[in-house]
Amino acid sequence: MKELIKGNEALAEAAIIAGCRHYFGYPITPQNEITAYMAKRMPEVGGVFVQAESEVASINMVFGAAAAGVRVMTTTSSPGFSLMQEGVSYLAAAHLPCVLANIMRGGPGLGNIAGSQGDYFQAVKGGGHGDYRLIVLTPAYVQEMIDFTILAFDLADKYLIPVLILTDGIVGQMVEPAEFPKDYKPNFYDKSWALTGAKGRPKNVVRTLWLDDYGVENNNIKLQQKYARIKAEFVMYEEFMTEDAEVILVAYGTPARICKAITKKLRNEGYKVGTFRLQSAFPFPEYRLMELALEKHVKGFLVVEMSAGQMVEDVRLSVRDYKPVNFYGRMGGVLPEERKIIEYTLDMLKGKVEVN
Amino acid sequence: MATVDIKKFQVNLNPTWCPGCGDYGLLRGLQTALAKLDLDPSEIVIVSGIGCSSNLPHFIKAYGYHSLHGRALPTAQGVKMVNPRLTVIAAGGDGDGYGIGVGHLVHACRRNIDITYIVMDNQIYGLTTGQTSPTSDVGSKTKTSPDGNYEYPLNPILLAISSGATFVARTFSGEPEHMADIIVKAIQHKGFALIDDISPCVTYNKKNTYQWFKERVYKLEDIGHDPYDINQAIQRATEWEDKIPIGIFYINPDKPSYDQLDPVIREGGMFAKPEITEDEKKEILNQFL
Ligand SMILES: Cc1ncc(C[n+]2csc(CCOP(=O)(O)OP(=O)(O)O)c2C)c(N)n1
Ligand code: SF4
Repeated sequence: MKELIKGNEALAEAAIIAGCRHYFGYPITPQNEITAYMAKRMPEVGGVFVQAESEVASINMVFGAAAAGVRVMTTTSSPGFSLMQEGVSYLAAAHLPCVLANIMRGGPGLGNIAGSQGDYFQAVKGGGHGDYRLIVLTPAYVQEMIDFTILAFDLADKYLIPVLILTDGIVGQMVEPAEFPKDYKPNFYDKSWALTGAKGRPKNVVRTLWLDDYGVENNNIKLQQKYARIKAEFVMYEEFMTEDAEVILVAYGTPARICKAITKKLRNEGYKVGTFRLQSAFPFPEYRLMELALEKHVKGFLVVEMSAGQMVEDVRLSVRDYKPVNFYGRMGGVLPEERKIIEYTLDMLKGKVEVN
Repeated sequence: MATVDIKKFQVNLNPTWCPGCGDYGLLRGLQTALAKLDLDPSEIVIVSGIGCSSNLPHFIKAYGYHSLHGRALPTAQGVKMVNPRLTVIAAGGDGDGYGIGVGHLVHACRRNIDITYIVMDNQIYGLTTGQTSPTSDVGSKTKTSPDGNYEYPLNPILLAISSGATFVARTFSGEPEHMADIIVKAIQHKGFALIDDISPCVTYNKKNTYQWFKERVYKLEDIGHDPYDINQAIQRATEWEDKIPIGIFYINPDKPSYDQLDPVIREGGMFAKPEITEDEKKEILNQFL
């Protein structure tokens, strides 16, 4: 049965449903509800909640708990995620599974506490040092906060990789009907690599350092093979009225909801518009976007973000020069205007190659 | 006490703090101290971290830098090292300075750099709406300890003394005059000064209220405390809960400050203007002839 749930609390409860019993966090708006929820809920389910002394501490507690073989999560918002980057790089290098969430707010710097999408590059292109990737899921609905969080724990254990839930503060703060799965049983993976005490077996060592000449390169090769496998096996997106669309709006998170509403509105007026909504940002749905670009009916894409234009670069890399890719965004926690999106869409429908 | 004119340090911006917040008391005490020292706003830089208390630089007339959460001290040290003639004051909350930024506090104390650091200690995270802080009492109920806090608080006074700070005091926002006198001494002190200011959060801390403190605070100077005796200082620093001392715990006048030791900063730093002789003046002006 559906109930009214806040995005952040939905994410927190979903982690518990997924079998997470260790949560380390540090307060920061607009994700404080997760920390508060875990403080109350973890003891009820026999789990551990610690308010760390900083995000540096949270991410390294996650490192330790992941190495010890449990399902573990930390959550934060933009400035806090910046502070975590060193740990994220180490977690990736050590092939450790964990779930992270960045409920993005306006930046750079302290910025503000309004929802934003300025951290896409940080999430998808690195953020920390070295050649690594995270699986990045991008929920836009409270229901997806639940579903994607549960999925995130599974993907993390399956591929031994940190999985990041990347969404904006609006989705985190939104209250809407959603449903927790009933009778969900987490699929706990074999973790014989974990640090569980070496009695009766050879010791396990979790590390990101190799002293011989090719150790680090070999680890990099392993990482790249893993990323290739993930790209081959997994990607998520939603297509809304794209079958015959002439202009496709591309977005994720809150702007995607705006784009879908506009799509409906313009369809009612007879315009052939569709929305392509990213549900995973890594892997990026490049293949499907290229397929769409090659369709005769598609005139071009309009990417809408709450940023200066970050995800748009991946759309351009995907469709190359086959079709025009335009961009419209607002920064610093300001919502893209419906009026503008409609204006640019209509321009593109009329055949204009460059809008905005 | 002679009244001093604090207008020089006032701005036309009303603080965004909740009515009754302890930070108003600190603002008043700091303005009074700066006026007593007869400083000019152009000689003062106030560097803060992030938190309700860290909004301070906006509400006082002086140079200000609103920095990063937990990083007021490194930023303030950066300022001081460039221009040691400035009076540099770092400020922020207990979460900022004793939580995320506590590593920097230890090293600033150890370095004994000539900065005054004021922590508006409300034993809670105010700006993020009421979570446990590193100074929250055991048993305190907050958003992140709904069943009562079971972590032990750190003792900022003991921490600062043991880390090498050479001036360590506690003030109370309910006593701004007493506070002003202590801030004057802290700024005059050559070396690192920590002032732990009891600054109640009237919105989120329901335990450590003005009333709670009024029933407990006493002044160290009233009981003949000798701040030059480290043993007495340590002993007084352990008092809390029943009786809470305010005043100067500890002064070490003998340890030179970082800015007296560093060969460049000692001479006034990179921006120190050398005295120009009459001959040099002529030489410079001659270039224009
Ligand atoms: C890196 C980072 N993490 C978290 C935050 C969120 N945050 C802002 S202020 C604050 C703590 C506020 O408490 P305190 O320092 O005690 O100051 P008060 O508001 O009580 O005056 C936190 C956690 C942030 N701004 N930056
Ligand atoms: S929340 Fe607390 S600390 Fe912040 S302004 Fe209000 S009373 Fe002061």
